[in-house]
Amino acid sequence: MLLAKTLASSTFKQALIAIGTFGIIVSALFGYVYLSTSSYVRSRSDRDIMTELSSLRGAYEHSGRDGLIAQIQQRIADRNSANNVYMLADPSLAALAGNLREWPPTTTATGGWIEFRANEALPNAANRPLVRAMLQTFPGGDHLLVGRDISDLDNFADHIKAAIISAAALLFVIAGVASILVTRRTVGRIESINATSRAIMQSGLDQRIPLRGTHDEWDRVAENLNLMLDRIETLMGEVRQVSDNVAHDLRTPLTRMRGRLEKAYHGQRIGADDQALIGDTITDLDAVLRIFSSLTRIAQIETQARKGAFRTVNLVEIAGEVVELYDAAAEQEGTRLTVVGDREVLATGDRDLIFDAIANLVDNAIKHGRAGGQVVVVNEIIDGKPVISIADDGPGIPPHEYEQVFKRFYRLEHSRYTPGNGLGLSLVAAVAHLHGAQIEMLDNSPGLKLRLWFSAPIR
Amino acid sequence: MTGGHRRILVVEDDPETAGQLVESLTTSGYQVDLATSGNEALSRGATGGYAVITIDRMLPDIDGITVMRQFRDDGIAAPVLIVSALGEVDDRVRGLRAGGDDYLVKPFSFVELLARVEALGRRSDTIVKETILRVGDLALDLVSRTASRRGKDIVLFPREFQLLEYLVRNEGRVVSRAMLLQHVWDLHFDPSTNIIDVYVGRVRRKVDGQQAYPLIHTVRGVGYSLRAPG
Repeated sequence: MLLAKTLASSTFKQALIAIGTFGIIVSALFGYVYLSTSSYVRSRSDRDIMTELSSLRGAYEHSGRDGLIAQIQQRIADRNSANNVYMLADPSLAALAGNLREWPPTTTATGGWIEFRANEALPNAANRPLVRAMLQTFPGGDHLLVGRDISDLDNFADHIKAAIISAAALLFVIAGVASILVTRRTVGRIESINATSRAIMQSGLDQRIPLRGTHDEWDRVAENLNLMLDRIETLMGEVRQVSDNVAHDLRTPLTRMRGRLEKAYHGQRIGADDQALIGDTITDLDAVLRIFSSLTRIAQIETQARKGAFRTVNLVEIAGEVVELYDAAAEQEGTRLTVVGDREVLATGDRDLIFDAIANLVDNAIKHGRAGGQVVVVNEIIDGKPVISIADDGPGIPPHEYEQVFKRFYRLEHSRYTPGNGLGLSLVAAVAHLHGAQIEMLDNSPGLKLRLWFSAPIR
Repeated sequence: MTGGHRRILVVEDDPETAGQLVESLTTSGYQVDLATSGNEALSRGATGGYAVITIDRMLPDIDGITVMRQFRDDGIAAPVLIVSALGEVDDRVRGLRAGGDDYLVKPFSFVELLARVEALGRRSDTIVKETILRVGDLALDLVSRTASRRGKDIVLFPREFQLLEYLVRNEGRVVSRAMLLQHVWDLHFDPSTNIIDVYVGRVRRKVDGQQAYPLIHTVRGVGYSLRAPG
């Protein structure tokens, strides 16, 4: 999990780019070192061969073929030049002197540089050594070959090559491991910040990002985020306090008012007209209070103050109870209200709030559905998620109003005169949000199908 | 009920609400003591002997819930009715249910408050262990969960039976809609529709339809009451 995140992280990608760039530069550098070293070694050996050749040419010019043969034999006998290869051949390429018995099979037999594998072993040399040599043809037709066993040189170059390649490989491995480790550390810290953020979004502002006590930049980020959370928590607390106070300060006079009205209503000397008037006033006052209650209730759910009552609930049970409660209301409208689907659909949540949300949806479906129509509540598990859907066969909602209907006090044109305060779906949205549930609206053709996707219960 | 069981302690800091509370409770035959702060409530409560205590959630000195917890710690077992002026019954108040106490959200109707106080005061009385409840010509068999009037069976859904049983058990007393929601459906909020009325309406048609006299009566603005004539 962490490894996958490490490999996918941008830090790691940047590290890879850095390693790539660094690798190209290092390869170029090593390549240059290799080429210049090997060409230096080779040119030195070539120079030695040319010096040797010109010295032998001098001997030939000075003292003829025999003098040259003597020189060659003397050189072969010299242990210091054991790596050197000499051969003097007559015009038919038959050997006259030297430590090579056969003229190398070559096309440029008359002059210039050649490289070949000698057919015989030289002293101090490997079997069939690689020889680099220069040829010279004398005016008399004799051919002289002066060369050197360059197997060692080749080996030297190979060693340099191997050393350079293994150094480069080691460098890449170290850089790769280092970048994974560094990235992993970064990803680990970011992941712990992410985990806390998610926990805060789901369960409220009481959590903080853990510090490591390293006083590095990560600790500073965490500290600042924690300070920000403190501030938000304080502000939320103040908002809640203010709305509590508003609620309290409004409710106290309203209680008095209602008390007075009630006293007047039950008074002895009151006429029937006045009593009806007061009765209606009490009813209206109660309606106002109910809107007020709904608003504060929605606000409270939105500020996530009720996670304490979360437990595993069976949606089927709640839906059953709602349907039972609304059975009579549906009957009154001539609507068939049924609940179908699975027998157990578990979710984590607040039973009362879920009940309230489903009740509001069923209430809406009965009110805004077709009189004499059908309202179906379906409980099911889709892709492992608990889902409850409420469908009617009424006029439905035009798709462009799907978002609008969740706004407070929003009412559709055709339902303006149906009883209700336009707060029901706002409450549903608040409850859904608190539960991390998704609301999906579908065309039931005809009618509306609203689906609530809960998240699977935490075990 | 003895005189001692009719004593009530009202803890309320708003003078007018307190006055209205005292007046309506006194009119209903209770002997009412008033405390206007949490500390006063604690000292008065210590003298004991109250059948019911009503406490406002927000008091000038000590929170109503804290006062209630203190009562419990002091061994005062009288049932407590918390009166909350906050918008929503919060979790802490909801927690009261376990302790057998009750709550009410402001503004409330006094009839509702009386109904609650009645219900709380009655709790200390012995629980009647009858298998058949009777009111007038209505009989409820609690074992077979069936109802009948004049020997004629009334077909009821389980929840309808539960609702009728609750009304019968509170015979002659006012039962508010919120009380029905709490006791029959275990719902602790107002579903903000007339859903209870529609439900009771159906039960009423089944119970009172084509009968000599009605048993279920509407109490305007509050709820229902079940009683036999006379």
